[in-house]
Amino acid sequence: MQIDRYGSWAALMLLAGAAGCAGNGQGLDQNGQPISMGGGSGGPTTADFQSIQDTVFTPICSKCHIGASAPEGLQLDAAHSYNFLVGVPSTEQPNLVRVKPSDPDNSYMVRKIEGLPGITGLQMPYMETPLSQATIDAIRQWIANGAPNAPAAAAKAQVFAVQATAPVDKATVKAPPAQILVTFTQEVDASLVNDTTVTLERIDSASAAAGGAKTMTAIARLAPMNPAVLLITPTTRLEPGAYRVTVRGTGGGALANMNAATLGADTSFEFTVEPAQ
Amino acid sequence: MIGRLSLFVPRCLFVVLCFAAFGARAEPYLAVQLGLKCGQCHVNPTGGGLRTTFGDIFSQTVLPAQHLDSPLDNWTGQLGQYLRTGGDLRFDASAMQAPNTRTVDQFAVQQMRLYAEADLIPNRLLAYVDEQVAPGGALNREAYLVYWSATHDWYLKAGQMYLPFGLRLQDQTAFIQTTTGINMTTPDQGVEFGWERGHWDAQFALSNGTAGGAVNSNGKQSSAQLIYVESVWRTGVAANYNAQSGGAKSAYGIFGGLRTGPISWLAQAEITDDQSIANKQGKQLATLLEGNWLIARGNNLKITHELFNPNRAVPNGEQTRWSLVYELTPIQFVQIRTGFRRNDGIPQDNAEHGRLYFVELHGYF
Repeated sequence: MQIDRYGSWAALMLLAGAAGCAGNGQGLDQNGQPISMGGGSGGPTTADFQSIQDTVFTPICSKCHIGASAPEGLQLDAAHSYNFLVGVPSTEQPNLVRVKPSDPDNSYMVRKIEGLPGITGLQMPYMETPLSQATIDAIRQWIANGAPNAPAAAAKAQVFAVQATAPVDKATVKAPPAQILVTFTQEVDASLVNDTTVTLERIDSASAAAGGAKTMTAIARLAPMNPAVLLITPTTRLEPGAYRVTVRGTGGGALANMNAATLGADTSFEFTVEPAQ
Repeated sequence: MIGRLSLFVPRCLFVVLCFAAFGARAEPYLAVQLGLKCGQCHVNPTGGGLRTTFGDIFSQTVLPAQHLDSPLDNWTGQLGQYLRTGGDLRFDASAMQAPNTRTVDQFAVQQMRLYAEADLIPNRLLAYVDEQVAPGGALNREAYLVYWSATHDWYLKAGQMYLPFGLRLQDQTAFIQTTTGINMTTPDQGVEFGWERGHWDAQFALSNGTAGGAVNSNGKQSSAQLIYVESVWRTGVAANYNAQSGGAKSAYGIFGGLRTGPISWLAQAEITDDQSIANKQGKQLATLLEGNWLIARGNNLKITHELFNPNRAVPNGEQTRWSLVYELTPIQFVQIRTGFRRNDGIPQDNAEHGRLYFVELHGYF
């Protein structure tokens, strides 16, 4: 009994003595990387979105996946990546979402970076050394954890606004998009998504000859696992021509976030579908 | 006669457990409290997943604060002569806070897992599967065949399995689980040889090194551990080497357990070196120290300190996590866990300062 008692105290003291403290962060950037090394890129990837952005998406993926010509419309720069990935159906395989929270095995992005059989196209990163297993494990773990956004990014998103679109404004696309994306800085109130707040119109000369912009039928809905993303699916294949998407942010029933804050203004973007070659 | 025997054996086990393991509980600390090896309560010799008949009886008769009488015999998962089954459900209500960030609170099914074992040749050859059925679609975790020697002092396992490396905790987010990437969310495909003799346990596994994913190089992953188990203490060492494309990753760990009266202690320290990461930034360190105080039968208080150094080549970047978890097992098959986890790290990163509050319902059978 004496041994037990002394043993417990000894073990408790050992626990207290061995317990290390958190670092003071001196000489490190926000991601814990040495400032002298430029910080950010190159550090080990951990299972949080900020780390994955800093060590994978920004230095590796966004070399191609950026801007209006991003492959598959997938922009992976820090400003856009989360809302283009989480809960968004893949354009290559629309029955799968790119990142399905809590389900890495059924996340198309994981299949692409692992190069699993059945993917469309090549393993990512395109024509480069595959990501290390540790990096893939970290990405898998982040998804398994529910794919939470980076707290810093969430904190920055104080104003409700349109963040990005795919296709981007004034873009010319070679093939008609099966799906149009509008991402927001905050989650959208799903009850306000309808054909009065989200419209798709054809605006080229053909429609003008027919009497003005022609409203196209399309289904608008929020991404099931990411309510900051609006998915617009035309019910018929878009013919070559010019199109405009408008998100109504004013008037009764305007699109708003979960705190009933509206966009404050209507937001439109246009794109052109090229004739088939 | 067989019917009488089927009643007699569990009752004998119950009596033995009452004397040998009064008040013990789940996870590796349970093994420390009992002075037993993991394979005593789990079909998998390295722990986790389907419980053995001993583990089933223990979890129903000794683990809970109260054993509710049932007109049925104790559940042993036996479905016919050759099949056994079991499962675990974990359902959480949690709130996660971080500075300058909106609190996220949610209900979530963390996992529902079903296990099945086919005793193809009793005590010698078995097929085993561990399937996660929720949340989301079905996901296979483990699927393998095990062949045991006649004297049960060695075995050979082949298929998809969790790799042996130190303490196999329930908390898959512990630093020691995520740093190596070896945990119960990342099984790998390969073969494992196990050796069990007296106080000694040893395993060696050779696997693809892709955590169950596609093979993208010819390199393989080797995992090994050696454990010495005494009735009140145990110690072990573990090593892992993954010859992955882009640079090898190695990990080395030392771990142990100690029982001092009603408190069971667990400890593990590990270092990793991932050479696929430039500038020596793949050198990490993770430690865990945990005390489990068995306040009364069915009541356990767990306090854990963890340290994580994400880059041993650079000072001042350490992260810590303190956890205080109270575990109540009121009746058989039901456990309620409530706790608080406090993360701390460098001041400039809000994400390293999370506070997690949770209540978890754990159903097991």
